[in-house]
Amino acid sequence: MVGVLIRMKLAVLRHTIAGPKATWMLTGGLVGLVIAAGTIGLATTDAAPGTVADLLAVTFAIWALGWMLGPSFGGDPVLRAEQFAMEPVPRTRLALGLLGAAFVGVTTVVTLVAFTALVVFAARFGAAAVVVSIPALALQLTLVVLLSRLAARFFGALARSRTGAAVTAVITATMMVLSQSGWIVFVALDVVLETGFSRAFSLTVRALPSGWGVVAVEAAARGDWLWVVGPLVALAVLVALLVVLWGRVLGPQRLARPVVRGSSASSAAKWADRGPVAAVYVKEVRTWLRDPLRVQGLLVAPVFAILSGLLPVLFGSTALLPFVGAITALLAATTTANLYGQDGTALWLTLMTPGTELADVRGRQLAWLTWFGPLSVVLTVVGTAIHGGLWPWAIAATTAVLGGGAGLVVLVAVDQLVPGPDPHKAKNSPLEHGDVTGQGFVTLFLVLGAASPALCVVLAGELLDLPLLAWAGGPAGVLTGIVGYGVLGGLAAKRLAARGPELLYLMRAGKEHEAALSAETSVIKAMSRHRRGLLWTSFFIGCLATFPQGLVPLGMKLSGEIERVWFLALYLPEGLQWPVIALMLLIGLSAFGLAGWVYLVESRKLKARLERTAEERERVEEPVAVG
Amino acid sequence: MNAVQPQVEGGSAALRLFGLHKVFGEYTAVERADLTVAAGSFYGLVGPNGAGKTTALSMAVGLLRPDEGRSEVFGVDVWADPLAARKLMGVLPDGLALPERLTGRELLTYLGQLRGLDPKTVAERAAELLDVMELAGDAERTLVVDYSTGMRKKIGLATALLHGPRLLVLDEPFEAVDPVSAATIKRILNRFVAGGGSVLLSSHVMALVEQLCDTVAVMAKGRVVAEGPLDQVRGGASLEDTFVELVGVKVGGGEGLSWLAS
Repeated sequence: MVGVLIRMKLAVLRHTIAGPKATWMLTGGLVGLVIAAGTIGLATTDAAPGTVADLLAVTFAIWALGWMLGPSFGGDPVLRAEQFAMEPVPRTRLALGLLGAAFVGVTTVVTLVAFTALVVFAARFGAAAVVVSIPALALQLTLVVLLSRLAARFFGALARSRTGAAVTAVITATMMVLSQSGWIVFVALDVVLETGFSRAFSLTVRALPSGWGVVAVEAAARGDWLWVVGPLVALAVLVALLVVLWGRVLGPQRLARPVVRGSSASSAAKWADRGPVAAVYVKEVRTWLRDPLRVQGLLVAPVFAILSGLLPVLFGSTALLPFVGAITALLAATTTANLYGQDGTALWLTLMTPGTELADVRGRQLAWLTWFGPLSVVLTVVGTAIHGGLWPWAIAATTAVLGGGAGLVVLVAVDQLVPGPDPHKAKNSPLEHGDVTGQGFVTLFLVLGAASPALCVVLAGELLDLPLLAWAGGPAGVLTGIVGYGVLGGLAAKRLAARGPELLYLMRAGKEHEAALSAETSVIKAMSRHRRGLLWTSFFIGCLATFPQGLVPLGMKLSGEIERVWFLALYLPEGLQWPVIALMLLIGLSAFGLAGWVYLVESRKLKARLERTAEERERVEEPVAVG
Repeated sequence: MNAVQPQVEGGSAALRLFGLHKVFGEYTAVERADLTVAAGSFYGLVGPNGAGKTTALSMAVGLLRPDEGRSEVFGVDVWADPLAARKLMGVLPDGLALPERLTGRELLTYLGQLRGLDPKTVAERAAELLDVMELAGDAERTLVVDYSTGMRKKIGLATALLHGPRLLVLDEPFEAVDPVSAATIKRILNRFVAGGGSVLLSSHVMALVEQLCDTVAVMAKGRVVAEGPLDQVRGGASLEDTFVELVGVKVGGGEGLSWLAS
């Protein structure tokens, strides 16, 4: 069973490698390996062993949280229990088989590399500790894979109702904040390396199952065999329990049909005389409330923003509070930019009522603003009032992000559409969706770009000591926001009208239609939109990481004339500056490498296709008419 | 509508496809298909799975851009003048999504408003359509996403009928529909044709096409292999026998599978 399922998974992976997902797999794998290398680097840090153990335990906890969060962003696993529901296979065997298949993947390899940090750490205590670290490593890896699958299952089951979707959203946002805030530890790394962590902190990270491997290795170093065997057995028992639990939950899922209040004839007619924009608006507002996937989107952003803002308060800083509203809007745009992809092939109705593209876009924008606008504004006002300052920054950021977001959400939704299952085909797993990670990053960068003019105005005001100019950032934000809403929305409507049938095809077939080619077609034009997006994004990231974040701080460090401005490395403690510069250069060069690779592969593909069509044409002997 | 009227009276067909052609990668889905649906006819398009029916219909109504060829609804080019063309037709695609998180009445109201119909007319028509399709009453507390297959087909037909089109293009309207719902749909379509409307439907249920349609076309491997009045196409035999002969495939299932139920 395990062998069969692993071969099946490998076959699926082989097919995806040809598809648009492959590029993301590659980028993800590269970034993952860089982070994994960082994790191993931690194990070699020159500090008290107890402190290094603390660091490793935190890092492993973050990896585990990442695994649990993964499925809610990356979409469902390739092989699902439902697909084998009719096969006469006992559930435990199926569970083991699916677990085996779950190990096959880029993520597992990356995690395995990261977890070898435990072996590297053990190496400083001698052979016995290394021997202990290997089963610990295997158990730890199995644990995170299992946790990931169980979390996916749990969230999937919860999400079938709207309340469940809301709960999932809150849990997801909390885990996101936690897994992110873990890195706060590293900002203060220099101090920590000398003084060590507090006792409570050490105990907490060791008490988590992700830290048990570290405990065992430490005990091996001390020769305390009770504490070597104990944690390892506990890990093994936990893994076994989780396997059993997983076998249990693989059974048929209980289904319940939700019932809504609906609209009576009179209430349905209430909005009916306000034109097409109002029609779309009402439909969208209802969908935001009734679709579990949208309900989740509604909650993740504010919960994430509020928790992120409150976390520094624990350390006595309210500096992030003024930006809770802006972060809400930013994250809302990032997580809800697949509006059209989520609706699936329902686009055909818009196509069948031509001339309504603009109404469709505007209705969606207005509904998005209705849900996130007042919320962001209120959060901004409350947050800034509590902090008691930073008003120009907060106002400029919130208004610019809201307007830019409202424009970009629809533009990205049309331009970078990620096809997913049609909602009626996935009604029992409503959180199932295409992999929107790439789209999310694109939106994040673009919205930040849209917000930067207004923020630059404020920055200029502060630097030149002109308070009036700083305050002008607010109106600048409103202005760019309105322009973003209007222009980008209009652009989205134009694209929708021009490419409607192609978008529908993309959603129907799950892949793009191969266009007709001629010898003049440029490589960039001929490649699929995913590839093109990847090419430009990696080029952009390459420029950003190599020059301003890599070479410039490098030059400053060498020349000794340091101006921090926005060079990340220079804000970090002395010990981390060189590693970060190196990391930036590495990221930049690999991004350039990726862009070059995409270009090469695509130009070769185009050449091959052109040659093939030319051959076919000769064979047919008659010119193919171009219509 | 005024610009359209004279051509319609000029006796042009309800729908004409001129050499529609579509290639997906290296696979030719539809090869220069010509079809003529006369005004007032009940037209059946039959063909085995993968014959290109859905692709042809999608191109005909403007949901899929053809590589070559044209499609005209009452003389109006679907791709050149989509606005006018789509006012004249109602479409029911097979298996596509709808705005799923609305109830039936909300969906019809939304579409009527989107099409710019008068609110009062929309309310009246929505009520009537929901009644006829048996989607009123308790069903109004169910969202479209939770509809059964038959209910989805019926609400789809209601959306196609809402704006009072003169041509209906229906892709597999009876697929997976229970007999009661099928009877309802048949009755509505017959009334529509009797009232002067034209219907083009695709199906692979021969008996159904024989029962409903006056004109048929047979598609196989992306080509239209026969077209004409029902009796002419089927000759003396049943449509099913003619179909198998036309499609030119050997009927499988006679050999192999010796292990089955032995």
